[in-house]
Amino acid sequence: MKRHSLLTIIMLAVLILSACAPAATEAPPAQPVKIGVIYNLTGGMASLDVPSANGAKLAAKEINAAGGVLGRQLELVVYDGKTDAATIGNAATQLVESDKVIAMMGFSDTDMTLAAAPIAAKAGIVFVTSGATSPKLPEHVPDYLFMSCFGDNVQAAAAAEYSFNDLKAKSAYLLIDKGMEYTLLLGQYFKERFTELGGQIALEDTYQTGDKDFSAQITKLKGLGTVPDIIFISAGPDDVGVIVKQFRDAGMDKPIVGGDGYDTPLLVEIAGPGAENTYFTTHSLMDPDLGTDAVKKFITAYQAEYNTPPENAFAGLGYDTVKLLADAIKRAGSDDPKAILEALKSTKGFPGITGSITFPPGSRIPQKGVTMILVKDGKFTLAAEIVPEKVPAP
Amino acid sequence: MRSQRFFNLLTLLILVVLTAGFLIYTKVAASAYIQRVVVGLAISIILVVSLNLINGMTGVFSLGQIGFMAIGAYTAAILTLPLSMKEVNLPDLPSWLAQVELSFLPATLIAGLLAVIVAFLVGLSLMRLSGPYVSVATLGFLVIVQVILVNWDKMTRGSRTFSGVPPFTTLWWAWGWTILTIYIGWRIARSMYGRRMIAVRDNQIAAKSLGINVMRSRLLAYCLSAFFTGVAGSLWAHFIMSFSPKSFYFVETFSVITMLVIGGMGSVSGSILGAVLITVLSEILRNAERGIAIGPIDIPPVYGASQILMSIIFILVIVFRPKGLLGGREIDFNRFWSWLLPKRGEKAIVPGKEVS
Repeated sequence: MKRHSLLTIIMLAVLILSACAPAATEAPPAQPVKIGVIYNLTGGMASLDVPSANGAKLAAKEINAAGGVLGRQLELVVYDGKTDAATIGNAATQLVESDKVIAMMGFSDTDMTLAAAPIAAKAGIVFVTSGATSPKLPEHVPDYLFMSCFGDNVQAAAAAEYSFNDLKAKSAYLLIDKGMEYTLLLGQYFKERFTELGGQIALEDTYQTGDKDFSAQITKLKGLGTVPDIIFISAGPDDVGVIVKQFRDAGMDKPIVGGDGYDTPLLVEIAGPGAENTYFTTHSLMDPDLGTDAVKKFITAYQAEYNTPPENAFAGLGYDTVKLLADAIKRAGSDDPKAILEALKSTKGFPGITGSITFPPGSRIPQKGVTMILVKDGKFTLAAEIVPEKVPAP
Repeated sequence: MRSQRFFNLLTLLILVVLTAGFLIYTKVAASAYIQRVVVGLAISIILVVSLNLINGMTGVFSLGQIGFMAIGAYTAAILTLPLSMKEVNLPDLPSWLAQVELSFLPATLIAGLLAVIVAFLVGLSLMRLSGPYVSVATLGFLVIVQVILVNWDKMTRGSRTFSGVPPFTTLWWAWGWTILTIYIGWRIARSMYGRRMIAVRDNQIAAKSLGINVMRSRLLAYCLSAFFTGVAGSLWAHFIMSFSPKSFYFVETFSVITMLVIGGMGSVSGSILGAVLITVLSEILRNAERGIAIGPIDIPPVYGASQILMSIIFILVIVFRPKGLLGGREIDFNRFWSWLLPKRGEKAIVPGKEVS
């Protein structure tokens, strides 16, 4: 009996409370324009995807403060992919079916992107990946999958040209993580462009993601007798610190060169002074003093919104992707997914903070400049802005 | 007179009608999202029920079954990949494989059989071990499979994403295989083979002294489990459509083991219960964590809250029901019948006594 009365009271209370709630706010002038956003906010990919999602939300806030798109508000429908392919598939289905979004974006990893993009494509919606850099990616999902970041072939070519022309390197040591598509491709593209320029690969070696001891590789390198001019290490963010430290501790003082996997605070935190004289390619230099004006403005806004400076360049990529989509929607003049697809395809010179974005005819990978960074006095500094002369075919 | 057989048939009939009704309803009326969840659930049930065959029935706590899932997924995907895709994605396939494009059923069967062959060869040595040793050794098997997948570029694309797998896994395929797996799992548990496995699990020395071949019982369970795990791998591959070796590693291993432990090891209905509960609960919580409005109170999105809540629930289950929700017993339908139709003057049907 007692339990029943308690239940009744609770139900009554809920009813009364909901009756007291302010009457539904006035109907907005129009339905918001909805963009579906899936990032792995938890799980293994979170260190890249959380900054991306934060950057995306910041962009939407700025767009809405400036009047939205098509005279309507821009709404981001955010789902957590949990670094799990099945969950991502479910979330993408929900975005299409119940949220009825008109475009989708997300992810910094090929596997994850390919778990969601085909579902968007089936529904005739574009999917823009902000941080998955494999240039082979778009061909997996015809027509609908776009990248807003450069491809690995572009950054590898930039690294090769910079090493050959500016660092005057004639020979290179190549160490590749075999456990990831990203590191595998990056290393291959570097080799292709570097040898094409006339450089020599003195020695090529591999390791597995998560390896902690590189003494075997170092011994082999020392066995060469003459040390190559540069050390190119194709590594993921979790491993770079350890590798760079061990190579430096073993007395290898030639420049170390790498890709955007190095763009993590872990590099300096773990390798310490060993990180000096390390060059890597990335999307933009997220530095409040040394970055471009657009980057400085972004950093201030990000700091104000989240109480922390952008964790890495992926924050900028998420930010750019929302603005890129908003730009396409504006130019399409409607929220029709087909019109958005056409508008996105013809994007020309869109000014992003991670570089200007142009989709060449027939390509869904943007032509974009590459930022080369040098670690100096424990800080990331700008070494060069590079548009590679020639890029290996994907 | 009420006969045992009559009630068994009645139970079976009701279960069949309920399942069929549920599936038809899902197919006709439910959203594409719910259909996806139901297909995913089917694959989880196959994985957990087949894991139960080895871990629950024989007491060999294998940590390597997901290796068979990987074998199944890659085998079936290589076999069903359209020829045009093969040229692009797997240009270095041996010529006899490069010209093969099978339909779903034969590919899945071959995937399962290959898993059995591997299980047999590996099992010949692994199934001699017991206790923590066998767990570590099977974990080693998982690592070996992982390393082979990453390095066998010609067949697997190495660590690169394997994509372009046709979306063959429909609701019917998934549930067809699920029902078959449950049926076999259930029958085995009640057969001579199953009783031997349980005897081996409960007291190896006593079982031996009765003339039971420990090795043979375990190997049978291991191979059967590998078959259905391989089939689940094939279903999963044609459901998710793109994957890489790391899809079949520790995360997946622990997720399936959690379902088994929560449901109750050694029980088929417990395995199913564990899979259903965790799948449904994690989907509900995943949607809830995106922020909900209860009356006037708006709860903002807290991403990751669903995983925390699930973990708390797991801890509570393990504290209060250390042997899982069903504690290794099966759901007893006889008890239900005798509760529903008590007959005066006649002794209620003795629970647990069944005719097989």
